[in-house]
Amino acid sequence: MNRSLRVLSFLILSSIVTVLTYSGCSKTTVVLLKDPEGKVGHLVVENEAGSVDITKENEATTIAGATSKPAAPKRYSEDKISSQFGEALNMLPTQPKHFILYFKSGSTELTDSSKAQIPDILKTIELRSSEDISVVGHTDTAGNSAYNMRLSQRRASVVRKLLIGEGVRADHIQSTSHGEANPLVKTADNVNEPKNRRVEVVVR
Amino acid sequence: MKKIAKMVCILVVSLVPTLGHGAFQAIGIIKSVEGEVYLISSSTEIQAVSNMKLISGDNIITGNDGSVGLIFKDDTVVSLGPNSQIEVQDFVFNPAEEKLSFAARLVRGTFSFITGQIAKLAPKKVKLTTPDATLGVRGTKFVVEVK
Repeated sequence: MNRSLRVLSFLILSSIVTVLTYSGCSKTTVVLLKDPEGKVGHLVVENEAGSVDITKENEATTIAGATSKPAAPKRYSEDKISSQFGEALNMLPTQPKHFILYFKSGSTELTDSSKAQIPDILKTIELRSSEDISVVGHTDTAGNSAYNMRLSQRRASVVRKLLIGEGVRADHIQSTSHGEANPLVKTADNVNEPKNRRVEVVVR
Repeated sequence: MKKIAKMVCILVVSLVPTLGHGAFQAIGIIKSVEGEVYLISSSTEIQAVSNMKLISGDNIITGNDGSVGLIFKDDTVVSLGPNSQIEVQDFVFNPAEEKLSFAARLVRGTFSFITGQIAKLAPKKVKLTTPDATLGVRGTKFVVEVK
């Protein structure tokens, strides 16, 4: 056997060993669950050997290595899911909560119904021990864009101060403003649209 | 349809907190920590505690008794059980410029997910890989084990 043939056969042999080791050692399991809104999503699990869709609650597939085809979907019991994934699932954070506060036209005064939402925001911050709160100011398109940028900054600042006044730490709040650039309801310029005069508060 | 997609975009944009620009923009936080958890960020390994900020490229590793919960800027939430490792390869959430990406490697262990805005707006931009397969994610809640 000449030298190059020997090198080639070594390479082939070692890659076979690698593939065998890899597929023998590693295994992936994926299980689709019902989300907090009661919906069940859709996953496509694939590798070079094939692809499987899982679309039903508690449906699972296993993949025994990168070169073996994902197994046909199989339903997992709640018990099996909690024994295999309980520790991870227990640590899954609640998804961030979004609040939208509205303002009176051209002003930094909250509408009455939005004022009434402040206690909810404070309660959410407390319940989640949140240290990551975003306050983002917006306006409608009435008035020019420079004016609206300043107005959205003032709106964000009013909400920020309101939260700080209620005991939220200033360094836990990031506030920004988008002026009239990100309307909730798209309108022509110079349109008075109550839904766009808002500050969004995100509690993480 | 296009109009609806645009509306959703606008809605989401308005929800995005704008941080400073640059390479070290925070993409999320470590929300909760139990037991031994490490964060490897820019080649430095530190013990993870709640409210640490995450950046693209970070690895999070849990020990025998460790578990951890993460919140990303697009509202995706992720948790790791014991003896687990995730590498957040790339995370971009800038719907205004339609720049969206969430790529992560699930190295080993157990994981749970509820996907957020990126999976809603651009499901193809979510790429989760394990040593055995890639996961195409059209939402929303699921668990993964890599042994």
